[in-house]
Amino acid sequence: MTEEYGVGIGWRPEIAGFVADLPGLRFVEVVAESVHDHGPVPEGLAALRARGVAVIPHGVKLSLGGAEPVDPARVAHLATVAAKLDAPLVSEHIAFVRAGGVEAGHLLPLPRTREAVDAVVANVARTAAELPVPIALEPIAAVFDWPDDELTEAAFLTAILERTGALLLLDIANVYANARNRGTDPLELLDALPLERIAYCHVAGGAEAAGVYHDTHTDPVPPPVLELVSALSARRRPPALLLERDGRYPPAEQLRAELDAIAAASGYPAVT
Amino acid sequence: MEGDTWGISGPDFLGVFIFMAVVALAVAIAARQAVLRGGPSDGFATLDAQRAAYLNGGPQLAIYASLGFLRQAGAIGAGPGRMLVTTGPLPAGATPLDRAIHLAAARKISARGLRHVSGVERALATLRQSLEDAGLAATPAMRSRARLAGVLPLAAVEALGIVRIVAGVANGKPVGFLILATLAVSVALVVMLVVRVPLASAAGRRAIARLRRDNAHLAPSQSPAYATYGAAAAAMGVAVFGSAALFAADPAFAEEAELQRNVAASGASSGGGSGDGGSSSSCGGSSCGGGGGCGGGCGG
Repeated sequence: MTEEYGVGIGWRPEIAGFVADLPGLRFVEVVAESVHDHGPVPEGLAALRARGVAVIPHGVKLSLGGAEPVDPARVAHLATVAAKLDAPLVSEHIAFVRAGGVEAGHLLPLPRTREAVDAVVANVARTAAELPVPIALEPIAAVFDWPDDELTEAAFLTAILERTGALLLLDIANVYANARNRGTDPLELLDALPLERIAYCHVAGGAEAAGVYHDTHTDPVPPPVLELVSALSARRRPPALLLERDGRYPPAEQLRAELDAIAAASGYPAVT
Repeated sequence: MEGDTWGISGPDFLGVFIFMAVVALAVAIAARQAVLRGGPSDGFATLDAQRAAYLNGGPQLAIYASLGFLRQAGAIGAGPGRMLVTTGPLPAGATPLDRAIHLAAARKISARGLRHVSGVERALATLRQSLEDAGLAATPAMRSRARLAGVLPLAAVEALGIVRIVAGVANGKPVGFLILATLAVSVALVVMLVVRVPLASAAGRRAIARLRRDNAHLAPSQSPAYATYGAAAAAMGVAVFGSAALFAADPAFAEEAELQRNVAASGASSGGGSGDGGSSSSCGGSSCGGGGGCGGGCGG
C-alpha cells in the first residue's frame, strides 16, 4: 500500500468494542479465516468499514511454504474476503502449516534453501493470480534454524520478494525475537532487507521463558521492540504499523498506552 | 324432533362461536399490549446497567449485574461454603445496590440470600420505582389490568360455550364439536393466565433492544475481554445478555457462587431479536495459526 495508514490494531471479536472507540484509527487487520466468505461481515468490521477504516485480511492457514500447491479453496476464500472487505491488500506468512495432509496447527519455519524459495514463489504466484489486490508476505519467528540453510534470512526474503513482486509484512517483534534468541544484531537484518517493499509492520509483545524469548502476543510490547520500531522508522518509515494482541487482553488504558508508544516510536499521530 | 336450541342451528352456532373466540383472542392480545404500551418512548436518555438488568430480567438480574460489576472490579469473590466474600474496597462508580451487596458480602452471604437483605431490597425497590416513573416498566396496577384484559373476553366466550353445551345436552342435540371448540378456548384462557405479563413496557423493550444493539460487542459469543472493557461494561453485558454473560466472563466465580444460569437469556425480552452479531468464534480468531494453540509463542 502506498498510502500511509499510521498505527493500527489487530481486530479481534474480544476487543471489538475497544477498537471501535479509537477515534484516529485508519486501519485494522482481521484473521482472514475468521471471516465467512458467504454471509455477512462481522458487525464490528462492517461498522469500521463504514467509517472508512481499511481492513486487511491476514491469512494464517494458506501454507505458502508447503511443498504441495496451495489449496485453491483457501485461496478463493482469501480472495472473496478481500473483495468483501474492499481491502487494499492481503497478507500471509512465509511458513507451512501442513505437510502431507497433516495439520501442524502452527506456523512452521522453512529451511532457507533455494528449493524452498522456489516452492514459496510458485505458491505465491498461484495465490496472487486469484487475488484482487496485492499480497504482503510475513516471515515468521523461529526459535531454531534448519541445519541445511543455504541463505541468510535477508537473502532468502529478498529472493522471494523479488521473484514474486510481493510486498513485505515485517514483524518487528519477530526480528527482535530472532536476533535475541540467536545472539545476532537486529539492525543488521534491517539494513539488509528491502525496506521500500514494506507494506506494514507487526508489533507485538512477548516474554522470556527458560532463556528463550517467545513472541506470545499476550504480553506487553517490551521497550527493545519499540526501540527497533524507532530504528526502522529512522531508516525508512513503514507506511503502517499494527499492534497484534491475541489474548490476556489488558485494561483499555494499557492497550491505548501501547498504541501511543508505537505512534511515538514511529512518529505517526496517536490514534487514541 | 325438537327445534334448534335457542332457535339457532348447531352448525350456525358453532361458526359464530369460533368467530367470537378468534375475536376474543385478538382483543385479549391487543388489550394486553395496549396496557403495556405505557409512557414516552424514550424514558431515559441513558438507561444504566442495573436498570436495564431489572427491566430485562427482574430483580435477580439487577443483582447479577451488580455482581458482574463488583467481581470485575476485584471487590468480591466466592469464598468457602459458596459464600460471597469481599476481596477489595467498594469501587468508584458504585451504585446504592452495589454498596448494599458489597456490605452484605463483607458479612458473608450466599448469592441466593442477597435478595432478602434489607439494604438490597431497598435499592431494588428504588430501581423499580424509577423504571415505573419513566414508563419503562409496567406498574403492578398496569400488570393486573393487562392480565384481566387478556382473560375477560375469552372467559366470556368460554362461559357462553358451556351454557350452550348444557342447553344442547338438555335439548338432546349433539355437542361434540362445540365441546372441542370450548376446550380450545379453555386452552387459550390457560395460556393467558400462565404467560407472565412482562415487566418491561413496550418503551422498555425498545430501550433494551437498543442497548443490546449498541453493546453487541459484549455478547457472550464474542468472548468479550472484560479486563479491557472494564467493570461497568461487565454490568452492562449481564444486563442485556443475561446471566450467561457472567458465566462466560468468569465461569469459576459463577459456579462457586452458585449463580443461576438462565436468568434472562439474550433473546428473552421479545423486542427486536437477539443482538449477538458477529459470527466469528473466538477460537481461531488469533493470528497465531489457530488450531494447535498458542502456548509457546506465535511467531506470526
